[in-house]
Amino acid sequence: MNTSQSSWSRTAADTFAVLARWLLGAVFLYLGLNKALHPVEFLKLVRQYDLVQSSLLLNSIAAALPWFEIFCGLLLLAGVAVRGTAVMLIAMLVPFTVLVFRRALAIQSAQAIPFCAVKFDCGCGTGEVFICRKLLENFLFIVFSGWLLAGYGRNLCVRHTLMSCAAKTSPTEAS
Amino acid sequence: MKNNPIQPAASDRLTAVKSVFLEVLFVAIIGAAFAFGANLISPRGLALTRNYFPAGINRPAPAVTGVGSPRDVANTNPPASSPAQLLAVRLKEQGLQWVDGHQAAQLFHDPRFQQGSIAFIDARDEQHYREGHIPGACEFDPYYPEKYFATVLPVCQAAEQIVVYCNGGDCDDSESAAITLRDVGIANRKLFIYTGGIPEWTTNGLPVEIGGRNSGNLRSTNK
Repeated sequence: MNTSQSSWSRTAADTFAVLARWLLGAVFLYLGLNKALHPVEFLKLVRQYDLVQSSLLLNSIAAALPWFEIFCGLLLLAGVAVRGTAVMLIAMLVPFTVLVFRRALAIQSAQAIPFCAVKFDCGCGTGEVFICRKLLENFLFIVFSGWLLAGYGRNLCVRHTLMSCAAKTSPTEAS
Repeated sequence: MKNNPIQPAASDRLTAVKSVFLEVLFVAIIGAAFAFGANLISPRGLALTRNYFPAGINRPAPAVTGVGSPRDVANTNPPASSPAQLLAVRLKEQGLQWVDGHQAAQLFHDPRFQQGSIAFIDARDEQHYREGHIPGACEFDPYYPEKYFATVLPVCQAAEQIVVYCNGGDCDDSESAAITLRDVGIANRKLFIYTGGIPEWTTNGLPVEIGGRNSGNLRSTNK
């Protein structure tokens, strides 16, 4: 009975992890394409964050970020270098979330409205969004990325692990 | 010590960490190469060395519509942080003059507009321009200026007054357009920023033209 339950939960976790990987991949592909197709709009939105003082740096961020997201999305959809890609997603999502949060606080302060009523185009590729929804989305994406980093979502991968020296067992296989 | 199958041995963990680190390096390097390469190939790609914001890379302070003329601002003493004051300071720093909604409408109805002595320049993108612009205004997206120079420069050279506008508010594309025109030889004294832009124009019930320049497809806007 225990073995059967364990097997079922393992299959469910694997299936869910693969779906999460595809979802993340599709979302990043979509968001990246939206920005890459309208680079000037994205450039203006990046500028709103006052991140850099150099036009070369600003242009580089606005030019490369959308295509980098597309690249990561494709890797996740195909299942190539999944854990490395998951680290890169976390490395992008965490600072983005902090920046968006800070900007929302500034807007809230300027407009004197409840935090969750703050709505603006954060440059995330989906147009204007309510901040609480955006933060929740990003939190979920970070959790999914962490899950993939932990080694889940190996099924239906072209090459989950690039380097041959890697550990060959997934967390579910190990148990 | 015997290995627990659930908790991999330290050496296995180290190997896994090393593997992930190498993958991160792979994704970062190949991804960056892919990203910059794709931007280079893309027809809409950004030119990395170009300054797309000649009015300043810092975010523009939000402005309000119907700001008025330099004279109005100079004669008043609003709080330093008021949008009108910030906009006035910003335009002054750029050496640009501006007009309000009333003055823009006067220039539009001035017979010299029909003669080409007054020109309107729309500094928004093509999609917004085609959705509705000030009748007779030339399209000039400052992010792709080379695409428009052939049509815009003769109009600007012939005009005595050039009114440049975009979306009002904190939109500073009209400033970028004016500075770009100035940089290619259009006299600064001719250039005026219409600070209220198209939102104020339509709010004031003035007509807009749909499609291309002089398409004749006019739409009246209700006050």
